[in-house]
Amino acid sequence: MNGSTTSPAPEALADFLHQVRLGVEGGLDPLSAAEGAATALPDQLQRLLEAVGRRVRGEYREDEWGFDEEFAEAVYPLFEFLYDVWWRVEATGVRNVPAHGRALLVSNHAGALFPFDASMILGAIMKTHPLPRWARFMVLDWAFELPFLSSFMRRVGGVPASPLNGTRLLEQDELVMVFPEGVKGTGKPFSERYRLQRFGRGGFVEIALRTGSPIVPVAVVGSEEIYPKLADSPTLAKAVGAPFVPITPTFPWLGGLGLIPLPSRWRIEFCEPVDVSAYGPDAADDRRVVFDLSERVRETIQQALYENLAKRQSVFL
Amino acid sequence: MPRRVVVIGVSSKWGSEIARRLARLPEIEYLAGIDSEPPAADLERTEFIEADIRNPVMSRILPGTEADTVVHCGILLYPESGKPAGALHDINVIGTLQLLAACERTETLERVIVRGSAAIYGCEAATPYFFTEDSASRTPLRTRFQRDISELEDYFGNFARRHPDVVCCMLRYQPEIGPQLDTPLGRYMSLPLVPTQLGFDPRLQLLHADDATGALEAAIQRPVRGAVNVAPNGSISLSRALRLCRRPTVPIPHPLFEPALARLGDRLGAGALYGDAVRFLRYGRGADNTRLRSQVGYEPAFDAEAAVRAFAAGVRGRSVGPSLHLGAVADRLAGALR
Repeated sequence: MNGSTTSPAPEALADFLHQVRLGVEGGLDPLSAAEGAATALPDQLQRLLEAVGRRVRGEYREDEWGFDEEFAEAVYPLFEFLYDVWWRVEATGVRNVPAHGRALLVSNHAGALFPFDASMILGAIMKTHPLPRWARFMVLDWAFELPFLSSFMRRVGGVPASPLNGTRLLEQDELVMVFPEGVKGTGKPFSERYRLQRFGRGGFVEIALRTGSPIVPVAVVGSEEIYPKLADSPTLAKAVGAPFVPITPTFPWLGGLGLIPLPSRWRIEFCEPVDVSAYGPDAADDRRVVFDLSERVRETIQQALYENLAKRQSVFL
Repeated sequence: MPRRVVVIGVSSKWGSEIARRLARLPEIEYLAGIDSEPPAADLERTEFIEADIRNPVMSRILPGTEADTVVHCGILLYPESGKPAGALHDINVIGTLQLLAACERTETLERVIVRGSAAIYGCEAATPYFFTEDSASRTPLRTRFQRDISELEDYFGNFARRHPDVVCCMLRYQPEIGPQLDTPLGRYMSLPLVPTQLGFDPRLQLLHADDATGALEAAIQRPVRGAVNVAPNGSISLSRALRLCRRPTVPIPHPLFEPALARLGDRLGAGALYGDAVRFLRYGRGADNTRLRSQVGYEPAFDAEAAVRAFAAGVRGRSVGPSLHLGAVADRLAGALR
């Protein structure tokens, strides 16, 4: 509903309800009365009603991963707000993301309570790429145990971080985002911000090699300040079964309000892609190649992090 | 080519179905079916042999048939008439063991096809979204049924190693669904109000009944060694499946879901398998069907969505009372607007 078109909606709705009442008083059942009255509605409302009806009848598309593009588009404005207004993201090098075909985006990971980096990288591609495309992202297993979050993640393109999932997505020529630091990245204390943690066992390099996908290193600056983690609570973590429960200046002291991320200023840099096709798929079992490539990507991101930290003049303003 | 075929569990829905299909193949000279009860329908030229799969008498009967092909349709996913929940473990594990013992004595044997279950992969929050056949050992065995399936697959694997000249094919079926098919899952999806788990929306792969039989027939004609997932292409979320069936849902916090499902027990008939059902309806499960398509050469006619649509067409007519479903209301409204 768009407010600028003199908004006939409230009046039309009142009119609609009045018509329904007349119908019911005239002896119709409520449903038939509503049907009769609906013809009086303006176009916009009709379209909305049809769209809602289509959703409720299950007449929409989901791909085999459970990604629901309509749903992703519907929640996108919220993330757009965070991108433009809240964190004022500045993205560079977005042309390093291929416009089509498979590619693996590898990024640093931060944001103790809820890592927003995947959504902002996605935002940067959707908003600034000449040919925007949705990207899939690999999510820490634990998130899929949680009600609501698990189905939300799945609908907007998240999949459990499993090499089989990554390989299959890349074979389908998707854009896949991974965060090799995993919990080590999100769970590190504020004092260690922007210091890249270990890149797991280099599993991301293996899937890139197996599928011949270019690796695009991505550096995200700003995500470390949204929830400054001062300490964590192992007892609480044990109680809820979480990998860690962070203590920030606002969480858990302010309860739900503590979940509001701080409005830091963000920069996202997409670096030059690393072409791994020359190694061939068998190199995925060569620990030396995997380790070297993993280290190379890690250093690229670390370097880009330092550069962008220097370019960002102020953390919050 | 199979010439002398014995179908174990021939009185079950799937056993009867495949016996009828095989009866039409001219190259099959002899067709026999073994079960503890006679089949409900006439099975044309199938010779019926009454025997309990758990009984050692199998070791005398089976060699006598001089079968070259054994099709095991006797693995139960849920209790059936005369086969109560308590007997599931015995029928599935001990029954398969007795059958394998009988196979050891059947010298004419060339191939064994087992109609197993993809339940071996379990249902986990974070797993590959499409299990490949070699990834069965990656997930923990959490439920009794999953352990049973895993155990009988182990026995079958041992048999296959001892008999390299016999082609041993284990079919791992995703749950079947169909407009004419009556299963606990189908009954669940036809409830007037369907309980779901608050905040969870599993990805499911439901196999159309036609594909279930089609894949089995293809596997009998072109068996491959080892496990083969029998699953449709794609997947569908439970919420969307229920919307297509026009079933309103009642989300229940997940700790209360299992007792709620158990109270529906008689209507659903899932017996001892509520534990599996609860996990299935929370996390779902997907299996990769590449092997089925490329090696067995069977292309499922229905993808996950089409299977649900076919089922939904049958369910919608069975609605209870005036349709309370928001979709039906919106549908009629939208219809009036056009």
